[in-house]
This record gives sequence, structure tokens and C-alpha cells, in this order.
Amino acid sequence: MVEPLRIIDFGRSSPLRSQTFWHAIAFGVSASERATLSFTRPGAPYVCLGYHRGIDEVDRDYCLKNGLPLLRRMVGGGPVYLDADQLFFQICLPARAVPASSRQALRVLLEPVAAAFRAVGVPAMLDDDLEICAGDRKICGHGAARIEDAVVVCGNLIERFDHERATRVLAFADPSQRDQTLALMRRFVSPTAVDPAAFQAAMISAYASALGLGPLVGGLTGAERRALVGLDERFTSDAWLAGPTRPATARAAKPSARQVKVRAGVWTLGASYDGAQVAASVVRGTIEQVRLQDRGLNGSTDRAERALTGIPLQSVARVLAGFGDPGRRLAGAFATADPARL
Amino acid sequence: MGEASLVVVAGFTLALDRRYHPETHMWVLETGPGLVRIGMDSLGLETSGTLVQLSFLPTGTELTAGRPFGQLEAAKFVGPLISPVSGTVLSVNEEVATDPGLAQRDPYGAGWLIEASMSETGATPPPLLTEPAQITAWFTARIAHYRLHGLIAQ
Repeated sequence: MVEPLRIIDFGRSSPLRSQTFWHAIAFGVSASERATLSFTRPGAPYVCLGYHRGIDEVDRDYCLKNGLPLLRRMVGGGPVYLDADQLFFQICLPARAVPASSRQALRVLLEPVAAAFRAVGVPAMLDDDLEICAGDRKICGHGAARIEDAVVVCGNLIERFDHERATRVLAFADPSQRDQTLALMRRFVSPTAVDPAAFQAAMISAYASALGLGPLVGGLTGAERRALVGLDERFTSDAWLAGPTRPATARAAKPSARQVKVRAGVWTLGASYDGAQVAASVVRGTIEQVRLQDRGLNGSTDRAERALTGIPLQSVARVLAGFGDPGRRLAGAFATADPARL
Repeated sequence: MGEASLVVVAGFTLALDRRYHPETHMWVLETGPGLVRIGMDSLGLETSGTLVQLSFLPTGTELTAGRPFGQLEAAKFVGPLISPVSGTVLSVNEEVATDPGLAQRDPYGAGWLIEASMSETGATPPPLLTEPAQITAWFTARIAHYRLHGLIAQ
């Protein structure tokens, strides 16, 4: 007899419940070992932080003025803007049923998503960076975690995407970096306007097939409902929103570089050093656009920006060496970047 | 750690002066009576992918063997760091919390994760591998297994 894949469609939910519903499922799956595929759609926009990310990455004043709640999830990734134009999905399995390697687990649990996109006519693939893309554009966000003895991978069908607002909710010290981030987001993140019901049916079929399970419509158990109440409380507490405890020196060693990842290999950098300031777009290791500020550049700013445009990131110090002390300060700002931590 | 205790097995470094939990790839190094330092071996770190974040329970928190003492994040996947011992967190490695890549660059040295005092009470601790021959045989078998399943490069 085929084991069941519990299917739960929560429909439209509050921002809070669009997170706590499926976190409650993770605790339920951990205890009961019932594989579950769930769906929900937030009824109102909000901003969601990955488990480890800092609140200071979000423009909280803007969020407050615009009535955007800020929530922290248990899965990874950066701060994201979410709204009713996104259908969320979550696949949750007992940890013993998932490869021990997180990369392998992600591959196994994201492949059905790419298959579902293809089933509704979108030429999607799961690339080597474990992102679901159509061409060079990312079309689906995702995050994952092991929560007790369950593994959950979540993502979204982006039917329409407000690139402007998705960028506006992020905090930037330098407006040039915001502009560059918006330009890259427009270029590399795309919505897919497919029928959400057809996509949902394709997802159920793809996961059932990949996991060898039989779809069975269900609902939350009593234990999950009790977990939900606790999660509602936890996710609205200041302590949870503040994030995991960090040692004092780690908090003090706040990097001066602000790095915003748009998709794998595509990011912006905002950094300062000794009074010099840079904002740069990096696409697959190459600087595509750059804005420089330094008190000593005088009339050389345009020349320095042209010299950096189109060169590999690792060549920056060599090129800036030709610009004397301002070049040294600007190279110092670039050196604060750490692409490995994107 | 003496140079002699560090060996290379099929391309992965392994320190033989400590104990290992075979399922989680955590190592335990005794630093004094009832005191241990805990980290993750090079193979466990390799299969995790590039670490972007590490977080730990605060100093003074009680540890239970088999339960998390922190979280790691790689490729947007947040996973638990499972304690191989019961006891109390005495300190966390602030350098590695600031620079998680340090764990991968120097897994048996500067990339340690936490220090703890061990307790005799609480949950039964999971069995740890203690003998160098036993540790090397386990590590060799895990590398072969991960390569067979494509989790690490050939």
C-alpha cells in the first residue's frame, strides 16, 4: 500500500499564519512522520527575515509607515517582501526520509518544483546553484531547515512581482546601491503568470511521483493546532524577532560591507573605508556598474568608475592602485566584501 | 594538536587525538578533567556546503547529548549542530561565529565551535568513536559512501 502524502491547502491566511501554519506542520511531521505538502497565500503584504539575518537589513521605518509586519522564519535565506501575488508551498518530510547532505536534500526536494513549472508550460530548471530558473532569471524563491526531526523546504509561485517594493523594504546606506539592486532585480527575478490552481495540481502530482506517495487531502492534527498557538506567540515576540543569540564580539564585528544577493552570482555591494564609499553591481564575478565617492578623487571619479566597469572583482585592487591614496581607500572598501557569505 | 595526530584520508584531513560521533561528524576533544571542546570534522563540513552563518546557545545553557547546541546555515538550509555530550556550554568560539568559513579552513584547530563541561547525568550519551584505527575506518567508509552518492567530488 502506498504511503500517504498529506495535502493541506490553507487558502488565504494572515501574514503571521502564512508562516506559523507550516512551521506547526514541521513540528507535527517531526512527531508523526506524516509527509505533508501544504499551500497558503498571504492575505496582506509583509517582510520576512531568514533565521540568521539581521533586522538592520530591513528598512523598519518604511515597513512601519507602510503597515508591513516583519516576521522571522526558521528557514534560511535573506529578507524578502511577500504579498498576495505569491502562492507559498512547503514540502515537509521526516528527516530520516531525506538525504543527510543538505545540498542533496535540497536537490531532491526542489526537483519536483521545477517539474511542476514545466508541467504548466514554464521552461524551468533547477540549476547548479539550486535555484529554479527560466533562462538566466530566477522564478522561485526557496528556503529550508531541519526542524526537530523534520526537514522542510518552502518556496513560492510568484504570479506578479513588485520589484520596486521588494527593493524598497531593504535598508541601504547608499541610495546608489538601492538603484543598482532594483535594476538587477528587474533583470534577474521574474514572475510567472500561470494559473495557480494548475500549478498547485502539478506540484501535488510532481511530489507524489518523486516521493512515491499517494496524495491525501488532510488538515492539522490536534498536536499541530497546539503547536500553532505556541508559534503564533513566539513569532510575534520581540525576542524571536531579534534573532538567535550572537556572541558579543560577533555583534561588534559588524561588517562595513552591505551585500545584497539578487540571485546566485548576482549581487550588489555597498561599502565604505576611511571615508571612501563604493556601490557596485557584481554579475558572475564581474563588476557591471559602480559608483565611487572619495574626497581625493577630484575630477577622476568618472575615469575610475570606467576603469572598474567590466573587470573581475578580484582585479579591483590592481586597477585602483593607479589612483593613489583615493584608490587605496576605495580598494579598502571593496576588500570588505565577502562573496562567500552571500 | 600534534602534527602526528593529523592525517589525510582520501583527501580529507582527520585529527586522531579526539573522539567522534559517527552520525553527526562532531568531534570531542578533552581539554581538562570533565572539560571538552567540540567541533565538526572536515567531511561533515564539506557535505554541508559553504557555511554562511553559525549560531550557538548562550554560555551557561545546559547541553543534552543528541540535541542541538546551535544552528548552521549553508545554501539557505538551516540545520542543527547536534551535541555529542551532555553538560553545560562554557564558551562559544566568537571568531567562528563572526567568520563561519574558519570552521572549514581549520576544522580541528581555530575552527572549533563550543567548549563545555560534561555532566554524568541526563540522557545517555551517544556512542563516540575513540580508537584511531576505528576512527580511520569509519572516516574512510563515510568518504566512500558520500562519493558513491555524489555528495562529495570524486
